[in-house]
Amino acid sequence: MTPELIQYLESIKHSARLEYADETAVLSELETHIEDKIHELTESGLTKEEAIVTCLGEMGGIKLVARQIYEAYSQGSWKQALLTSMPHLLFGLMFVLNWWHYPGWLSIVLILILATTIYGWWHGKPNWVFSWLGYTLLPVLAVGIALLYLPKIWSLLTLLVYFPMALWWLFRIIVQTNKRDWLFSSLMLLPLPIIAGWFLAISPSGKLTEFNLQLLEYFAPWIGLSFIVLALTIAAFIRLRQRWLRVGLLATSGMLTVTLIVNYTVGQLNTFTFFGLVLVMWGVLLMPAVLERLLKRGHITILRRRKIAASKS
Amino acid sequence: MATRRDLVKGSSNSLLLSLLEQQPMYGYQIVKELEARSQGYFKFKEGTLYPALHRLEKSGLITSRWQTLPNGRQRRYYYITAKGQTKLALEKSQWHDFLTAIKLILQPGPSSS
Repeated sequence: MTPELIQYLESIKHSARLEYADETAVLSELETHIEDKIHELTESGLTKEEAIVTCLGEMGGIKLVARQIYEAYSQGSWKQALLTSMPHLLFGLMFVLNWWHYPGWLSIVLILILATTIYGWWHGKPNWVFSWLGYTLLPVLAVGIALLYLPKIWSLLTLLVYFPMALWWLFRIIVQTNKRDWLFSSLMLLPLPIIAGWFLAISPSGKLTEFNLQLLEYFAPWIGLSFIVLALTIAAFIRLRQRWLRVGLLATSGMLTVTLIVNYTVGQLNTFTFFGLVLVMWGVLLMPAVLERLLKRGHITILRRRKIAASKS
Repeated sequence: MATRRDLVKGSSNSLLLSLLEQQPMYGYQIVKELEARSQGYFKFKEGTLYPALHRLEKSGLITSRWQTLPNGRQRRYYYITAKGQTKLALEKSQWHDFLTAIKLILQPGPSSS
């Protein structure tokens, strides 16, 4: 395999964003095809360089081939759609049915989410795992909020240590998820602005008093509904083949949900907070894409340096 | 007016199923066979063959098996399934009706005047 062919296959691998289980088979098949083609072209009298150029021209552009491979594999089954939307459904039902009152139910849901995420993460990171992964960030957020209840100096100190660590951990998870597809990072982070919106509507100070708990009880059916809407969005996301439709769906659903939160909680959230939430939602949607671009640029620079070093030696 | 590319795209499933009905084949073999039997008419970007084959496989119309060659290399052979044969029979009949209708218009007989 020459560097041009390796780069062609690497680029397809990167753009087709397949699950690990499919990736090896698809790339190995393309590799065999390219080898057969180059063998035939060199047999017919072309030089190796000419054969490579002809072969890559006849294979088709990276974007075209990768997009078609993506669309052949992207559509999940109904079972996968249900599994992916399950954490949002559970979370939604917890509020609609008022289970959030009971520590027992909360613990069961949290343990289920953690166990499912760990299982999926260590079993090839299937597409459904990323929506579960988003909810494992909640305990981290909850601990951060709990730290606010410590005496002031301790609270400040722990927050100064805790939040950078939590953000670093979140960054590592996003980088890992981006290795598959930045869209899954957006999918994973999507509930966070919604949770933040509800939290700010219920407790702008960040502390939960008796009054705030009453507000939570009042808004619970709407909170549940917003997560059930999210579950339906995610199910549709899994069933869609085209990437641009998936991006559009996440963006529209995220923005609509934030708007609905502001609409339901009349007087609780001001215009400034609304725009802040919209900004966070755009950040959640686009930040993984920007990060992927930066990481890709870094990867290309490393490859170029390796190529230059190889040609010098 | 549909371009040749559109025509190939619209008929790719029937073409692939039709080739695999005769014998199991691997990707490169399919490309060569299609080109040879259509006298170069059906020529497309070869990398796009695999997504088409994988879509057919996901629909259950074909299945695939990896085979190791004597030189140690592996090839993925595609086979038509019973569901694929049923689908092909239906598509062949539709193509037959379509071609007959086109012929009747492009080459009008004495009765049509």
